[in-house]
Amino acid sequence: MAKNITFIVTKDCQLACKYCYLVGKNEKEQMSWETAKAAIDYILSHEDEFREESVIWDFIGGEPFMEIDLIDKICDYLKTEMFRRNHHWFNSYRFSFSTNGINYHTPKVQEFIKKNISHLSIGITIDGTERKHDLNRIYKQSNPDGSEHGSYRDVVRNIPLWLEQFPGGATKVTISSPDIPYIKESVLHLYSLGIHEVNINCVFEDVWQEGDDKLFEDQLMQLADAIIDGGYYTDYACSFYSENIGKPLDPELENQNWCGAGKMLAVDAAGMFYPCTRFAGYSLREKKPLIIGNVRDGIDKNKLRPFLTLDRMTQSPDKCKTCEVASGCAWCQGENYDAAATSTVYQRATAICLMHKARVRANNYYWNKLYRKLELEGQREQYEKNKREVKPVDC
Amino acid sequence: MLQYLVILLDDTSTSYCHYGVNKKERRLISLDHLRQGIRFGMVENLMIQFVYPDYALPQEYLDVIDTIDHSNIKPMAVLDNDTDIVVLNSWDYDASKLKDAVVVLRTGWKQLNENHGMLKDLLAVVQRLNVVITDVERMTDSDREQYKTVLASLGKEVEQLYVDGKSPQFNLLTDRMMLTAMNNCNAGDTTITLAPNGKFYTCPAFYYEEESNSVGDLDSGLDIKNKQLYRLDHAPICRKCDAWQCRRCTWLNRKTTLEVNTPSHEQCVAAHLERNASRDLMLSLRSKGTFLPDKEEIKELTYLDPFEIATQWK
Repeated sequence: MAKNITFIVTKDCQLACKYCYLVGKNEKEQMSWETAKAAIDYILSHEDEFREESVIWDFIGGEPFMEIDLIDKICDYLKTEMFRRNHHWFNSYRFSFSTNGINYHTPKVQEFIKKNISHLSIGITIDGTERKHDLNRIYKQSNPDGSEHGSYRDVVRNIPLWLEQFPGGATKVTISSPDIPYIKESVLHLYSLGIHEVNINCVFEDVWQEGDDKLFEDQLMQLADAIIDGGYYTDYACSFYSENIGKPLDPELENQNWCGAGKMLAVDAAGMFYPCTRFAGYSLREKKPLIIGNVRDGIDKNKLRPFLTLDRMTQSPDKCKTCEVASGCAWCQGENYDAAATSTVYQRATAICLMHKARVRANNYYWNKLYRKLELEGQREQYEKNKREVKPVDC
Repeated sequence: MLQYLVILLDDTSTSYCHYGVNKKERRLISLDHLRQGIRFGMVENLMIQFVYPDYALPQEYLDVIDTIDHSNIKPMAVLDNDTDIVVLNSWDYDASKLKDAVVVLRTGWKQLNENHGMLKDLLAVVQRLNVVITDVERMTDSDREQYKTVLASLGKEVEQLYVDGKSPQFNLLTDRMMLTAMNNCNAGDTTITLAPNGKFYTCPAFYYEEESNSVGDLDSGLDIKNKQLYRLDHAPICRKCDAWQCRRCTWLNRKTTLEVNTPSHEQCVAAHLERNASRDLMLSLRSKGTFLPDKEEIKELTYLDPFEIATQWK
């Protein structure tokens, strides 16, 4: 298992996506080299507290590539220090980025990619067709005429280069209420761009309107028809469809927490540690930041205990405990905390409930239709042998 | 289900638990709030416990208090025949005045280590002694080792009292032997507190430390959000634990781990040292003859903090 350690290198971004949960983005909080170094020194000098086999050094923002000089320096230092200390993570690490893709082609980013390509994962977020993408993913600065300035064209031009460098590149799509009518066309569009793996999730925040679940189900069924009738299911994947979702869960044997908050670690520009980035102040609408330590004093292990003992049943309301389609229904610990009636991570937010149920119905339709087709074509056995697995999308 | 209502009669009412009283100005609860609080306790069928400051109350307050069956928690300074629980906030006390009393002794680690020898005489005269460690969350490695020694020493004293035919009640050593299940503070679950400002809190500590975090008031009633988190079945570490004498202080939980249902490492270790000392005491008493034959032996454990094995429970 890998430890995920996230540097929030900046809280700035070129975009102002409408569904972005980062309510406190700003242009002032860039991580300094001194803070980054102090965080690295703390982490690497406490090897006994970080026993995971490998590590994913994650960089997020805002938009992380806006701070490419700092990131390059951090990564060079990490490599040097892991080697110098003979740390068990040396040669068992990855650098990971989620980027809006706008700066992907720039010389500094490209130089960084070439230098670190063997230990690098980069995901570019593109939401689908131009109209779907530009519905939410707009620049902070409007067009001169005052209209919204979508980012699609500045992202899509970098997709071929990205796929050339990361042939298995997957993209992450986020669905909010206004996006629902464009799901089908967007996934097919991403396939047409050469992206074979599309990971989608609905936002966990309470943004849903009455009737959204019906629209969502309809879109997913239309998409199911398109994927199956178009034969995409052999080489392409969409995380909406999974054979493992929509089943009841055993209260004892399947009582694990969904989210990895607390097992992960995030550090921000002020040198504060968080159980995940979602607990930093810029991510929270209602609650205070949930700080578990800092680069000077280290991690307060008492503050990690609630996260490491969290289980599904204790935080779930009765309707979730007895839900007949519970499997695959995700939650975000940070959103749970932010939406909770008290200052707790033990109250599961259920804004996503109807959307999950809609997904389960469409998912059932997808697999029934696909397997019937494969049976009739005598292809089922071969399909099952070769089918690609899509990891569940958690956040 | 609620069973107890604690009413703080004054902002300077004595602490009888882990928290400190950070309000220095006297402010009596208003007579109107006092009457309403008593009425609330009556209609909700709650046992009322009044917590007194260190000065005499006006007669009109005593008259109102006397309108309901209740218990009185008083500091040593106002100890009288009407006291049900007397609180000692220092080691400077006269044990002869505490004959057959139910006593709460509040102490820090340092003072306990220095003065624990005095407890022998106190245990010999009181009906019951609760020692409350006021800085349990600041336990150092040295405190832990000394606490182990202190408990072993006190165990010998308690054992001798039993041998002498007495039945001392001492929260740190005898409660675990007598219990058959968790017996915790249960603030927010079975107990609620009315503060002098007319608002409800899950316990007095929350009034002193997070005054804005009330859980209702006398006009609108109780409104404990996420009430289930105060119950044992919603405490992942505690519900599997057998340190049944632990106070399981939700305020200390909140202070140290940010969650009312999750204890700190220090609270768990302290409770397990007490549990293990109770085990040694029980074994020793049984080696001398029949002792609590209906009670199961306290098992030997390989850990002091159940968090260490918590991941195996999931």
